[in-house]
Amino acid sequence: MEKPAILLGSEAVAHGVKLCRPQVISAYPITPQTHIIETLSEMVDSGELKSQYIKVESEMSAIAAVLGSVSAGSRSFTASSSQGLAMMHEILHWYAGARLPLVLVNANRALGGPWNIWSDQSDSFSQRDTGWLQIYCETSQEALDTIIMAYKASEQLMLPIMVMIDGFILSHTMERLMIPTPKMVDDFLPPYKAPYQLDPENPLTFGAGAHPDLFYELKKAYSETMTEALTLIDQCQAEFAQKFNRHYDVIMHCQEGDKDSDTAVICCGAMTGTARVASEMLNENGTSVDLFKLRLLRPFPKTALITALKNKKRVIVLNRACSYGVGGTLSQEIRTALYDLPEHPIVNDVMISLGGKEVFPETIVKIVNDREQLSATEPNWL
Amino acid sequence: MIKLKHIEAIRNGDFTGLPISNTSTAVNMTGSWKFFRPTLKPKKSPCLEACPLHILIADYMQEFAAGNHLNALEILRENNPLPAVTGRVCPHFCQSACNRTDFDEAVLIGDIERALGDLGLTQPYSMESQECQEKAAIIGSGPAGLAAAVFLARSGVKVTIFEQSEAPGGLLRYGIPAYRLPRRILEKEIKNIVESYSIDLRCNHKIKSTDLDNLRKEYDAVIAAPGLTQSSIPETWPETPTVKGALELLAAISRDEPIPGQDFVIIGGGNAALDTARSLKRLGKTVQIIYRRTIDEMPAYPDEIIEAQSEGLLLREETVIEEIIDNGRDLSLNLHRSRKNGDRIEAGDFIETITTDFLIAATGQESSGDFLNCNPELLKAGDFAHGAASVAEALASGRKAAETTLRKFGRLPDDSITDQETQNLPPITFAALHLNYYSKKPALKIPQLDEQTRSDNFSEIHLGLSLEQLEIEAERCFHCGSCTTCGICWFFCPDVAIAINRESDNAESQILFDYDHCKGCGQCAEVCPRGVIEMEEDL
Repeated sequence: MEKPAILLGSEAVAHGVKLCRPQVISAYPITPQTHIIETLSEMVDSGELKSQYIKVESEMSAIAAVLGSVSAGSRSFTASSSQGLAMMHEILHWYAGARLPLVLVNANRALGGPWNIWSDQSDSFSQRDTGWLQIYCETSQEALDTIIMAYKASEQLMLPIMVMIDGFILSHTMERLMIPTPKMVDDFLPPYKAPYQLDPENPLTFGAGAHPDLFYELKKAYSETMTEALTLIDQCQAEFAQKFNRHYDVIMHCQEGDKDSDTAVICCGAMTGTARVASEMLNENGTSVDLFKLRLLRPFPKTALITALKNKKRVIVLNRACSYGVGGTLSQEIRTALYDLPEHPIVNDVMISLGGKEVFPETIVKIVNDREQLSATEPNWL
Repeated sequence: MIKLKHIEAIRNGDFTGLPISNTSTAVNMTGSWKFFRPTLKPKKSPCLEACPLHILIADYMQEFAAGNHLNALEILRENNPLPAVTGRVCPHFCQSACNRTDFDEAVLIGDIERALGDLGLTQPYSMESQECQEKAAIIGSGPAGLAAAVFLARSGVKVTIFEQSEAPGGLLRYGIPAYRLPRRILEKEIKNIVESYSIDLRCNHKIKSTDLDNLRKEYDAVIAAPGLTQSSIPETWPETPTVKGALELLAAISRDEPIPGQDFVIIGGGNAALDTARSLKRLGKTVQIIYRRTIDEMPAYPDEIIEAQSEGLLLREETVIEEIIDNGRDLSLNLHRSRKNGDRIEAGDFIETITTDFLIAATGQESSGDFLNCNPELLKAGDFAHGAASVAEALASGRKAAETTLRKFGRLPDDSITDQETQNLPPITFAALHLNYYSKKPALKIPQLDEQTRSDNFSEIHLGLSLEQLEIEAERCFHCGSCTTCGICWFFCPDVAIAINRESDNAESQILFDYDHCKGCGQCAEVCPRGVIEMEEDL
């Protein structure tokens, strides 16, 4: 039976990782991620987690170390945040191109300058094009569960997965959650068996130079695997729901409005919790809205999004990351997906928070109530 | 159900989208990008530089630490014919120069040398070439004579040694007390040399000036290494039986002759003074050393001074004898505080008058065979050639005389002095080492007889450790400038362009650089713990 526990988000992540039995962990501390690897290092030290913990001098080395350990056939883990994730950038591309599985947890935090350590999704959104799968979590329970599902998907896809928690909002707050038993996880997640691995007895060349045509073919296969990943993730989530009785979807309908509600609010990560309260307040006061959270950013679940939003006249996108000169990064993703609809809803691109700027339910209520004043073409700053 | 063809293929192990190849990357000749190439450049270690014999210490330490004691002995003997002797009596210039001193403590090279020397007592010396026609005569069987004999005989020369005393060894036998160099060790080592190289050793055979011409006719070369066997007695001292030279006294003690008298005053601050004083003390005599400068200025080896002091020897520093009164049966000495007058030392304030049975001069030594000096063509070696010096220097001098002789015979090319000697590069410094690869570890403690146990006998003071114990000590060696095939370069090379062949006998071919793939990044040179790899321009 699962056990209830009250844990910090970072500890919940560590427990999720521990249940997946990684053989190698390598990471470099950075606020607000540090608790995750501290907890893991204590687990390794006490012997409750049998794993090689590699201390490194930078995030670049951390990701490079697991690139090596996974190439050697092990299940591995790393975590980072903000500047640390940015420092990994070069290897993030290489890692994905090497077609190796991994789960990396990123605690979302702003990138300087100016100096700021608070919650902001610019760090992971700016890694959208590295080829990694990206999943954003609303709660610590969701993060713990997602890590278990992510290992399963990653190893079947031979693709790395980044799991996001909001820095401080999740990482540093306590939550009551359920910890699955090791047996439940072992039944769900078999040990990793690498199709190829570094082996002195059977030398192979990993990631050697590929001529243009071969390179193109490998990238095409990559892209096709990403498309297949949408189905695989659905399957993983369904299997997880069956075994653990907690249901996840790539895009989740968090609050249903009236039958004739024509406005949807969409966001991703921990802000969804605030938005749930806001939409309850709105519905109580006669403004009916539907609330959606996007869990999967890469591969982008276009079909699921279209299905969710097809009858809406207005979609209000709450952004925690900005692509300067265009607008909210999440808004762009949603606009692009909706282009395939014969009749496009209005997309209001709202820059609701950056660098930890506090989001209150009232902030969201006001945005929805004043929706007629929002620009449909330009980003809306508060 | 949607078909997931890639995921299926991954599951079935026939996915072609993984960037993995069973073709080698060797076809890509990345070596053409380089502007610098690494080369193996072994360098002199400071111990080798400091050693008069230029012993390949860093190399034999490697063999020794690996448990290959006989290989280590062979390397040691290449340059040192008497390791059991020098392991005991050499002041170990090598240890004073050891780079490890700046890290924790010097490696106990001397103790390892001694243990190897003892191991060698039962191991015959090896020959380098077949016997030849040339014959050489060596006058004197001290360290210089023995070294000359070994290096000549090793090249096939037939050697005869003429020794005026009843037994070989010269100063090693008659000058160095047995508590520093036990007689049985000396005898065994000399016997091993004589037997290994079939040396014709003729004791009780004094060479007189009249014999020289005949020797020249009979032998193709003559080397004179008679040593400085006579103490110089200051001219101002009275000629009386109660005034003696230190060397003569040491020789008498060595021959177990009875030593008359009870009170002894020894003048001097060198090893001869200390050896004589400590020997007399062991015979139950009352001894004091009078030295005109401070104890710190004494030319004797510092360890000897410390040991002598711990044995309770009375050392009177900054004292001179202003007047000697010969009482017939004994002597009265007027002692004064010494006073510096420029470079000279004079008598200052009167201290006291003491009476002694014997006054011993240990202020210098001279040759007892002055006739040999007159012959400018005579090839000389040892103290006789260069004045009183250490045993190691005498051995080096004997070896040099042997090399001169071999060159004369045409059996050694002119430039064949060992590479290390001709290599003018300075030895590798402490700063050039990569200390991250070494951990601090103090030197072993070498047991010795306590003062009580050794006070009335000539038992060897230093007890030594076993070969196995000393392996741990040898592991402390940095092997400065010497490749140990540790593999750090191999580990760091990002192009897999370094191969290590530990089986190779030739040090040069143990590290192989693949210049077709080396990009010249220089990491190997950067990480080498011992400064052996250098980058050279390669355009």
